[in-house]
Amino acid sequence: MAELRRDPVVGRWVIVDTDHPNKPEDFEYEQNIPSGGLCPFCYGNEFMTPPEISCFRDPGTAANTPGWQVRVVANKFPALQIEGKLDRRGLGIYDMSNGIGAHEVLIESPYHNKDIPELLVQEIESYLMMCGVRCADLKKDKRFKYIMIFRNYGAPAGASLEHPHTQLIALPMAPKNALEEIRGARGYYNYRERCIFCDIIRQEITDKVRIVLENKYFISFCPFVSRFPFEIMIMPKKHSGYFCHISGDEVSALAQILKETLTKLKKVFVNLSYNYIIHSAPINGESDVEYYHWHMEIMPKLTQVAGFEWGTGFYLDQTSPELAAQYLKAVKD
Amino acid sequence: MPELRKDPVIGRWVIISTERALRPDQFSSQVKDEKEDLFCPFCEGKEENTPPEVYAIRPRNPTRNGPGWDLRVVPSISPFLRIEGDLDRRGNGLYDVMNGVGAHEIVVETNQHIANMADLSEEQITKVLNCYSDRITDLGKDTRFKYVLVFKNYGKGAGGGGIKHTRSQLIATPVNPKRVKEELTGARLYYDYHERCVFCDLIKQELVQKERVILELDGFVAVSPFAARFPFETWILPKRHCSDYTCMDAESVRNLSRVLKTVLLKLKKGLNDPDYNYIIHTAPFRRQKAGYWKTIDYDYHWHIEIMPRLTKVAGFEWGTGFYICPLPPEETAKFLREVQV
Repeated sequence: MAELRRDPVVGRWVIVDTDHPNKPEDFEYEQNIPSGGLCPFCYGNEFMTPPEISCFRDPGTAANTPGWQVRVVANKFPALQIEGKLDRRGLGIYDMSNGIGAHEVLIESPYHNKDIPELLVQEIESYLMMCGVRCADLKKDKRFKYIMIFRNYGAPAGASLEHPHTQLIALPMAPKNALEEIRGARGYYNYRERCIFCDIIRQEITDKVRIVLENKYFISFCPFVSRFPFEIMIMPKKHSGYFCHISGDEVSALAQILKETLTKLKKVFVNLSYNYIIHSAPINGESDVEYYHWHMEIMPKLTQVAGFEWGTGFYLDQTSPELAAQYLKAVKD
Repeated sequence: MPELRKDPVIGRWVIISTERALRPDQFSSQVKDEKEDLFCPFCEGKEENTPPEVYAIRPRNPTRNGPGWDLRVVPSISPFLRIEGDLDRRGNGLYDVMNGVGAHEIVVETNQHIANMADLSEEQITKVLNCYSDRITDLGKDTRFKYVLVFKNYGKGAGGGGIKHTRSQLIATPVNPKRVKEELTGARLYYDYHERCVFCDLIKQELVQKERVILELDGFVAVSPFAARFPFETWILPKRHCSDYTCMDAESVRNLSRVLKTVLLKLKKGLNDPDYNYIIHTAPFRRQKAGYWKTIDYDYHWHIEIMPRLTKVAGFEWGTGFYICPLPPEETAKFLREVQV
């Protein structure tokens, strides 16, 4: 009998197929095969992107030239624009606003063909540090209410350029999913006076069956209510609402657990595409952070989301998170 | 300047991008895989390859699971949910769990090996639309079920699998799904404040503004929604207020069939036969018990959402519930209005 499981934070139900679970070899996913070509993110092509906003680079090298380790530029085709005043207005029964926001691209390394598993831990640290730097900077702009960090790896996961990169979008309102998480977490906090994410971490550490990796500061696990097969959550053990408040020690620990988790995932699924996003608390007065807990959500692109999911917000997970964790744990380095 | 637009019912914000705007004809679907199916379990004469039928229109042969049918409904061979058993709601630490009880049925829309519903006759689509009502009503007799979702996945990109035989699916769920609840709650809030149905107001405004209307015909209107998530997203709404799909009279069903066929043909012709999903949004079963509110018949309005799969949904959308639509709905409506079918 399949199981229905309810997400304790947002209340979404998910169907977990426990009868005929999919094994890794049962998934027919679109392989991510690089096709090469001219890349605006490689050394020597800096002129092809908008000028850099921020950069870690070798001393003595000039902006917008080679010699950098991590580079942030404005998105050439931004979904939102940085200039202007926010103008919210009505149109009959509809609400709208002009599209104010920031849309940045963070080029994680100069290496066109290196995904996170192939980078050194120090290189991943610089990348994560830069994510924090950009968040802290964008947070100063009072027009913005939310900063979204997300990464599409591989064309099937929506990446339009091959060279690995992460995107940051600052939004003038907290998005619906963030508000739902906040609302759920606040409800729980009001009732129990505890952070629901801290409780999830406690239960996962006790249950053990869904844990993939654990270090001093982080756990990586397949969430009890996964929307997608082999979905993975990385959570800081220390309670904190904002990703950008991460400490130096935590950055190293996160770089290590992220690298190892993705290495395992990509060993189970060759040429896999995936998305990950960082969930962090809204900024500039939208919420208290006592009850929110930032985390990272990794979503492998193994299945198609179809009519049922769109219509109901119900998801079907063909591999139970317990089984997924077992496969991931079994991967030898 | 891009625009942010909010869905008036569920409050989802959408970015209508202007920077990366493409012309409508640039969205045209890629080359299809033209390979013919070697074997189709849904064709007439192959009935033994599906589970036994739960419903059929058989004008030529009354024998169940034999040939001679126009339309058949069979349980899914790999069901998401199972019909037998109790729900057994329980806790697991801080998590909630229940058994996967439900129904999952496949509506085989024709005995012919036709891929796209757009190519069925109006008469045949009418049978399909009637069958949805019959099945929803029948499943509603089972009080374990709260909702029946009717949907279609057409083409591989829409999760429709490889077999090119047009069919739709019904799933009865033991809880009201989250998306359905959001829509009901949004509609109720609007009703509480205005004492009017938000969808009726939406239709009125669209018919005045006209720029997002694709088609207005025989009591139905097809629009590109103001806060569309996807390029060429299309909604079909009945102009007359009604919360429940199954309450349509025979004439309305025939009219809906004509409207649906026209819209599907416009998408097929204008966008080179794209993959698509459609979903019927209708009121849940209204039984007197906890969690049911009495105004549902006034504040909710059934409709169909059609979503061509032309773009990829990526991390941003999954993470935020914020969508970036690369084309203003006004342009897609204009484009679709002009496609002659």
